[in-house]
Amino acid sequence: MLFFRERPRISLLLLAILLAVLPFLTSGLLGNSWVRLLDFVLLYILLAIGLNLVVGYAGLLDLGYIAFYALGAYFYAWLASPHFGLHLPFWIILPLGTLFAAAFGFILGAPTLRLRGDYLAIVTLGFGEIIRIFMNNLNAPVNLTNGPQGMDLIDPISFGGFAFSGTHTFLDIKVPAIHLYYYLFLAFTLLAILVAYRLQDSRIGRAWAAIREDEVAAAATGINTRNIKLLAFAMGATFGGLAGGLFASFQGFISPESFNLFESIMILCMIVLGGMGHIPGVILGAVLLTILPEALRYIGDLQRAWLGEVIVDPSDLRMLLFGIALVLMMLFRPAGLWPSRQRKRELTAEGEIAAHEQESLHDAQR
Amino acid sequence: MHNAEVRAQENTLLVVDQVGKQFGGLSALNNVSLSVRAGEIYGLIGPNGAGKTTLFNCMTGLYTVSSGAIHLNDVAVHNHKPHEVVARGFARTFQNIRLFANMTVLENVMVGRHIRSQAGVLGAVLRNALTRAEEKNIRERALYLLSRVGLDGKAQHLAGHLSYGLQRRLEIARALATDPSILALDEPVAGMNPSERRDMGELFLRLREEFRLTILLIEHDVKLVMCVCDKLAVLDYGCKISEGTPQVVQRDPAVIAAYLGGGK
Repeated sequence: MLFFRERPRISLLLLAILLAVLPFLTSGLLGNSWVRLLDFVLLYILLAIGLNLVVGYAGLLDLGYIAFYALGAYFYAWLASPHFGLHLPFWIILPLGTLFAAAFGFILGAPTLRLRGDYLAIVTLGFGEIIRIFMNNLNAPVNLTNGPQGMDLIDPISFGGFAFSGTHTFLDIKVPAIHLYYYLFLAFTLLAILVAYRLQDSRIGRAWAAIREDEVAAAATGINTRNIKLLAFAMGATFGGLAGGLFASFQGFISPESFNLFESIMILCMIVLGGMGHIPGVILGAVLLTILPEALRYIGDLQRAWLGEVIVDPSDLRMLLFGIALVLMMLFRPAGLWPSRQRKRELTAEGEIAAHEQESLHDAQR
Repeated sequence: MHNAEVRAQENTLLVVDQVGKQFGGLSALNNVSLSVRAGEIYGLIGPNGAGKTTLFNCMTGLYTVSSGAIHLNDVAVHNHKPHEVVARGFARTFQNIRLFANMTVLENVMVGRHIRSQAGVLGAVLRNALTRAEEKNIRERALYLLSRVGLDGKAQHLAGHLSYGLQRRLEIARALATDPSILALDEPVAGMNPSERRDMGELFLRLREEFRLTILLIEHDVKLVMCVCDKLAVLDYGCKISEGTPQVVQRDPAVIAAYLGGGK
């Protein structure tokens, strides 16, 4: 670790090379289904970073975040599928889709401004479900979403005539579409990380942190709490909408099932597990919680090999381990696996403070 | 220093006109009127539960008033949002210190500059020359204010880790960062020892001179109030029972009765 910390340039270069060859490495070692998983990891990182703006920075507990993912996905599908016969290019749809999701961020934010904590969580949870149920039922009287059947034949991303589908060959290297999506998602994820970092360390980021710490004091210090909270919702929604659009183009098919409450909770768990408000932690959380469930599928095969039959169904085991992991984390690493220095301090007294307290104790005895 | 004639010629900065505040059936403030001149240190005293903090909350937009009006520089500020009141130049501190405990000392003060700066999302993300210059100004101003209240060298400490007295000072620095013309301090020396209280009293006088402040002060410490205040108002059960210079108020029978319970 010290090696990398002392040589930031070299480690950055190594990281860049690793990220660049990762899909080829993965498909060579593990197969293409794992590259597909990598793509999903990136999408979830995008989502987790977006939700982190709302929950981690501004401290607004949002349990319906997946709704913005859904809105982004459906927006993409409406404008790039045979459903309405529209086939607009992605560079028009994605920006519009993020704006569309941001608008809904405002719509959700506005009525929840007076709510805090538990109450806010319940309302946002309701919002998430409302969007999903709308998508499920908007096939009549006008067929907008094709209901539970979902929408398919969504156009893949394409630059001019170059579509992200099938396999392309560059310089005799075969590059399947999932690899191309990997690079596209990687670009967006890196952009999102940059945006999140810059927001955190800005006038807006400080205002979010102030609201998280003490809303009354923030207002009395001159922060327009209404606007700043709405901005947090809208910014979070932007990331969700972007990820949704990418998801729709990547998957080619979307249905309301993909956007259930469980997904919202998973994204929240990524943030909590990784370290709320800390981008590296959030990324770690997203990576772990996307990859581990897939890896656990192999437990079924292992059981069959060793025990002759599958005793514990891998999907049950997944939830079991997940629960245990969360309980252990709350006990031993309450600030997350990789918390920011600030959060860590919130939850553990440092030596300096302990000494300070000890000192005042002596004062009292004197 | 107390050049009464000069101050008397200056304009009245804050006018509280017949302000009433009811919580359900309870009347916390009853037709309270005050007027504070620019440059004054105006003390607000009274027994516990007299309505001093309630009046502060009405002035700073945390409460709406039930009746009456509050004008700052001839502009109505009652029933406005807290941030609008701050924008008009009215800053405050809290009786129970309300810092952003998990942010650094410097960040706390930088938050105070929010209302006097512009950068939005686009500026934050692009970090253009304008935003960078603004951030630099915010930081420099915050560091300067920290030095003025005696917090040099503590900029990178966590606010919550400061000692009690320094937290009080930090809260004042944060309030000053909003460029106030009037600063309302709610029991700023509560829980301090006599020498700390004296230091704080000197700080108030110094800040008034340097930042051309008007200071509203809620305080129980009679010695401090007598020392630094130009004028006092005494509240009891939501009513103003006395007003005047410290010497006058000190001898007012109504005040003595309220404090010693003789009259009731």
